[in-house]
Amino acid sequence: MEAAISLSGVTKTFGKFTAVSSLELTVPKGLTFGLLGPNGAGKTTTIRMIMNITKPDSGSIRVLGQEMNEELQQRIGYLPEERGLYRKMKVVDQLLFLAEIKGVDRDTAMRRLGPWLDSMDLRPWINKKTEELSKGMQQKVQFLGTIVHDPEILILDEPFSGLDPINVILIKDFLSEFKKQGKTIVFSTHVMEYAEKLCDRIALLYRSKKLLDGTVREIKNLYRDRVPLPPPVEPEPELEKIFIKAVEESGLTAPSPEELR
Amino acid sequence: MNPKLIAIIKREYLQQIRTKAFWISTFLIPSIGLGMVFLQVAMSKTLVAKGKIGVVDLSGRLYDGLVAEYNKPTKDSTEKEKQPRLTQEKQKPPLATRMEFFKIEATKESLPGLRKKLNDDVQKEQIKAYIVLDENILENGVAEWRAQSVKADLVLRETVANLLSRVATKERLKDRGVDPEIYEKARMRIEIDPHEAKEVETESSKNAGFNLAVSGVFFFLIYISIFVYGAFIMRGVLEEKNNRIVEVLVSSVKPVHLMLGKIIGIGFVGLTQYAVWGVLASFMSLPAFAAMMGMADGVPSIPFLTIAAFVVFFLLGYFLYAALYAAVAAPFNTEQEAQQFVMVPAMILILASTTWFFAFNTPNGAVAVTLSFFPLTSPLLMFMRISVQPPPFWQIGVSIVLLLLAIWGMAWLAGRIYRVGILMYGKKPTVPEIFRWIREAD
Repeated sequence: MEAAISLSGVTKTFGKFTAVSSLELTVPKGLTFGLLGPNGAGKTTTIRMIMNITKPDSGSIRVLGQEMNEELQQRIGYLPEERGLYRKMKVVDQLLFLAEIKGVDRDTAMRRLGPWLDSMDLRPWINKKTEELSKGMQQKVQFLGTIVHDPEILILDEPFSGLDPINVILIKDFLSEFKKQGKTIVFSTHVMEYAEKLCDRIALLYRSKKLLDGTVREIKNLYRDRVPLPPPVEPEPELEKIFIKAVEESGLTAPSPEELR
Repeated sequence: MNPKLIAIIKREYLQQIRTKAFWISTFLIPSIGLGMVFLQVAMSKTLVAKGKIGVVDLSGRLYDGLVAEYNKPTKDSTEKEKQPRLTQEKQKPPLATRMEFFKIEATKESLPGLRKKLNDDVQKEQIKAYIVLDENILENGVAEWRAQSVKADLVLRETVANLLSRVATKERLKDRGVDPEIYEKARMRIEIDPHEAKEVETESSKNAGFNLAVSGVFFFLIYISIFVYGAFIMRGVLEEKNNRIVEVLVSSVKPVHLMLGKIIGIGFVGLTQYAVWGVLASFMSLPAFAAMMGMADGVPSIPFLTIAAFVVFFLLGYFLYAALYAAVAAPFNTEQEAQQFVMVPAMILILASTTWFFAFNTPNGAVAVTLSFFPLTSPLLMFMRISVQPPPFWQIGVSIVLLLLAIWGMAWLAGRIYRVGILMYGKKPTVPEIFRWIREAD
């Protein structure tokens, strides 16, 4: 299978601290890849090196068959863990600016954003300053900014941290849509539940080293005899689905800017 | 140019231009400047010495002379046409006075009896003051001044003293048989009328006073702009870190482009501000306005060389300090944290601004020449030298080349600090850590 991203022998140290050590990693095209591990495992450093934000001390990183370069940056959508927006900028200006620095002209960006603005109920807010938006709204804008240039690869660092439940669903839905289009997704998380539900393949990092790498099925088979099985669970509706149902049944619509003012 | 860089510049520029702070400062700074000019003009026109002053002249020698001296047409109004322009400009406008002297008939014997009434008149403000000139005034040179306060009316007292002195001098000379007219002629002061040693003088030499004032204003503008826009850069860098947008940005653009875009964008903001001021200034040079400011002949034009030097050295100085400010801000999370390091460029700038005197007094002296080559002071000093007395072209060239090299070096250094610093959150870095970033950032 063709690789979207491949790392070989990648090492990165900060002073005496080794963040990533001789990492070998291949992300096949069209799959959803989970980078797992506790805080400090080296996930963010790995992702920053893939994005060419930090340079590795040694080893090579190839993305879509090339060494990382500026043109490639435009084909990747990146949502860092430390993320934010310009507070004083209008939503629409902000999104168009993020598109522009990914090499997308304003007209194309606006055309692409149209359907998203409607489906995310952001349309009434586009001329507001970002600081006037609720946290949840800002998260939607941030996510739109990540995908406005229609990337081939999406790299998300802890995408679900700090998200409200509606946005978690929104992004999960988006990711599965994205995957259907044959695009590659890499995301890091320390929440195993997300990894299990969303990923085709996972790699587990711990203390700068890769401990596990494979499809979820492969890894489960590998540990079947050594890890106790959970007790059988009575099937019950998921809280997430309940949440959606409750919102639907309420018959209420999303609040408008005027109502929230 | 790189389209992403253009997008960064555009964003930076538009965001700044849209702030209220920009427009407030754009109009407030010249308003304050103009206000000060008007205040000066107004002060020179207000009456600084006025009031009714009673004179008890026991000597009988000075009263008539005092009244005559006071009512004599001033030199300014009679000799204006004859005088060369320059001397006229250098003279301070005559103080506006409106005094009224009246004679109090008294003798040495009747004076004590009169004092009660005179003191009353002063306290009731029917007269401003009264003055007692005793018989020996010409010898002892002291006149008694009686007013409500011994502290107030400084200018009034000084004016009266000057008038009395002149009258007394004439009287003393008369006693020795000298015609007072000779004294009038003899006491005329010699003024220096500066000219350039050239067959045809440059236009600017005719408006030397005005041009010096303009150079001073421009010098101050370069200084204050670098200060203000340097702070803009610092705040912008910290804002992007605080907003946590910076990592989103550097996944699309090179950090050095982000830094350059910010510096260039804010540089354009500065030029916009100057353009607005230029338009305002051209309104002010309209005759009506000039008359209001007391320049009857209209505002002289500013020499092209001064304007060109201003633009060039403002831009070069700005770029150098802007890169320095960006480097200084990048490692930190808050303005408070950055503060102690921001002191560094600020102190250098303040020191540089105090060196104008060298350029002013000895523009070709060793100190002025050295400082106008040293990149951190040259934007200010070389500008001042050019506007006072244009140095040889090679010196201007050396100054510009050194500045460009310094900007390049500073941008390189700042880029390395910036690149690492913008991704560092949390703990405030130490100086050795920052040096390690410079070494390791590749």
